[in-house]
Amino acid sequence: MLFFMMLTGGVAVSAADQHIYDQADLLTEAEESELEALAAEYSQQHESDFLFLTTPSTDGVPVMTYMGDFFDGWAVENGQEDAVLLTIDMGSREVFLAGFGTAETTLDNSRVDMVLDRIMPYMRIGDYGGAFRETVTTASRYMEFRPGANPESIFFKTWFQLAVSLVLGGVIVGSMVLNAGGRVTTTSRTYFDGNNTRVTSERDRFRNKTVTRRRIPKKNNSGGGFGGGGMTGGGRSFSGGGRGF
Amino acid sequence: MVIQYKCPNCGSDMAFDAESGKLSCPNCGRQDNIETFPEENIERKLDPEEAKEYHCENCGAVILTEAETTATHCSFCGAPVVLADRLTGDLAPAKVIPFTISKEEAVAAFREWTKNGRLTPRGFMSGDRIKKMTGMYVPFWLYDIDGTAEVAAIGTRVRNYQRGDTIYTETDFYDVYRAIDLSYLKVPADASEKMDDELMDKLEPYDYRELKDFRMPYLAGFLAEKYDYDDEALFSRVESKIVPYIDSYIHTTISGYSTVSYTNKQIQANKKNVYYTLFPVWMVYYDFENKEHTFAMNGQTGKVVGKPPISGGKVAAWFTGIAASTFVALKAVAYAMGGVLW
Repeated sequence: MLFFMMLTGGVAVSAADQHIYDQADLLTEAEESELEALAAEYSQQHESDFLFLTTPSTDGVPVMTYMGDFFDGWAVENGQEDAVLLTIDMGSREVFLAGFGTAETTLDNSRVDMVLDRIMPYMRIGDYGGAFRETVTTASRYMEFRPGANPESIFFKTWFQLAVSLVLGGVIVGSMVLNAGGRVTTTSRTYFDGNNTRVTSERDRFRNKTVTRRRIPKKNNSGGGFGGGGMTGGGRSFSGGGRGF
Repeated sequence: MVIQYKCPNCGSDMAFDAESGKLSCPNCGRQDNIETFPEENIERKLDPEEAKEYHCENCGAVILTEAETTATHCSFCGAPVVLADRLTGDLAPAKVIPFTISKEEAVAAFREWTKNGRLTPRGFMSGDRIKKMTGMYVPFWLYDIDGTAEVAAIGTRVRNYQRGDTIYTETDFYDVYRAIDLSYLKVPADASEKMDDELMDKLEPYDYRELKDFRMPYLAGFLAEKYDYDDEALFSRVESKIVPYIDSYIHTTISGYSTVSYTNKQIQANKKNVYYTLFPVWMVYYDFENKEHTFAMNGQTGKVVGKPPISGGKVAAWFTGIAASTFVALKAVAYAMGGVLW
C-alpha cells in the first residue's frame, strides 16, 4: 500500500474527484460523465483542475463574486489552488472564466479573452457542454505557451511554419536552378557615366492635403465584456473575464 | 569579288542584255561590246557575303571559310590565318580586348567550375568530357549613349497619428518633376548571329581597362567572326538594356516620399559613339550522356556561363534539406519566443 502511494505521489494527479458542478441542470447525464472524463484527463496533464460550474441564479450576487466564493470553498475542500473555472449564470445569462494559482499566469486575462471568443458561439446556441469542451481544449493548449506569448500568433502555427519552409525551399532551389548556368552580373552602375549624368531641373510642388479619420472600434464582446482579474473573498487572486450571452 | 560595269555616259550600272548580247545601260540606253569595254569603267570590290578561297602560307593548302570568318586555322597544318581583307574598311574593328586566359588555364578553370555545380549530376562534375575548346573573338558593338529623361510624378507623404479613439491619416500630395541628362559608356551588344544573346549578356562585364586599339596580330591563333548586324540594327536592343538602368537612376533622384506614381515618363536615348570591338570568348563543347552542352567562358575574366544538366535527385535533396532545416529553425525560434514544439 505504501509502495502504491509512493508511486502515485510522483505523478501529477488531479486533486479533485469532481470537476462538473451542474447546478442549473444544463447537461444530460451522458454529457456530464463525458465532460467529467475530459476534465479529469486534461487536469492530470496540467496539474490545474478544469472546473465547470452552472447555476440557475446567483440571487443578485455578481457572477464574479459568486464564482470566487465557490472556488474558495472548493480549494479548501480539495486542497488544490490551481484551477481553471468556467461559470455560467443562467439568471443573468452571463459566463465567466477564471484562472487560479499557476493558471492565473498561464491563462492570463488576454488569453481568457481569446478563449471566450472561441466559446461564445456555443453559448449563443445553448450548447453549454460544447462551450466547456472548447474551454478545456483551448485553455489547455494556451497554457502550454510561455506567459506573455500570443498563442494565436500565426508564427506559432505549424501550417504557417511548414508553408514558409516550403516556399523558402522552393525559392532558394528555384534560384539555384535558374542561376546554374551563370547569371547577369551587370548592374545599373556598370556602364553608368557619373561625370556626365545629372539632374538638370527638379521641382517638388505641394498640391493638396487630405485627412481621413478612422474610429478605433470598441471590442465587441457580444453582450459586453466585464471583469478581468480580481481577488476572491478568501484572498485568492485570479485572472479572468466575462461576457453576456 | 563583286565586279560592276559603270556606263561611260551616265555612270549607271550596266547589265548584260541577253537579246543583243551586249552590255546595256537601263538609264541612257547605251550599248557596249563586252570585249571592248574600257577597263577604267570596271569596278571590282569584295562581296562580304561571298565565301572565299585563301592559300595557307605554310603548306599551300586551300582554306575555304564562311563569309563571316575573319581569322581561322589551316585545317591541314593548323597554322593560324588572319583574313586581312575581311578586316579592312567598314569591317575593321576599332577596339579589341585580348585574351588573357590561355587554353590550359581555360580548361583548368572550366573543370573547376564543373566541380562546383551544386545541382549537376555526379558524372558531369568530373570535368573530363571536354570535346572541344575554341578561343574566338566575338564581334560586339559598344555604344556611348547620351540621353535625356523627363519625368512627372505625384508623390505622397503620409503621416498617421492618434487622438483619443480616432486614428488620423494625413496625406500630402506633391507634383514632382525631374529633367535629367544621362550618359552611359560602352554598353555592349553582341553582333554575331551565331552567338546566343542571353549567353553573351551573362559573360559581361568585361574590364574596359584592357581595351586596346585593334591590331591584326591579336587574332593570330584564334577564330574571329565579323559582325552580322550593324550598329543601327542593334541599337534598339541596347536601348531596352539600359531602360531599366535609367529607371533605377530616376528612382534615386526622387526621395522622401511614401509613394511615387509616375504620370509621365519620357526617355530619349541617342548614340554618341559606336565602337566595333572584338571580345575574347572561349567556347567549350562538353559531352555528357550523349548530348553536347555548349558553355562560354569570358576570355578575360574567366566567368563561365551555359546551361548545365540538372540532377532531379539533387534538386529534391536540396529542396528537402532547405525546407526541413528552415522548419526546424522556425520551430526553435517559435519555441524560444514562448511557443510549443508541436
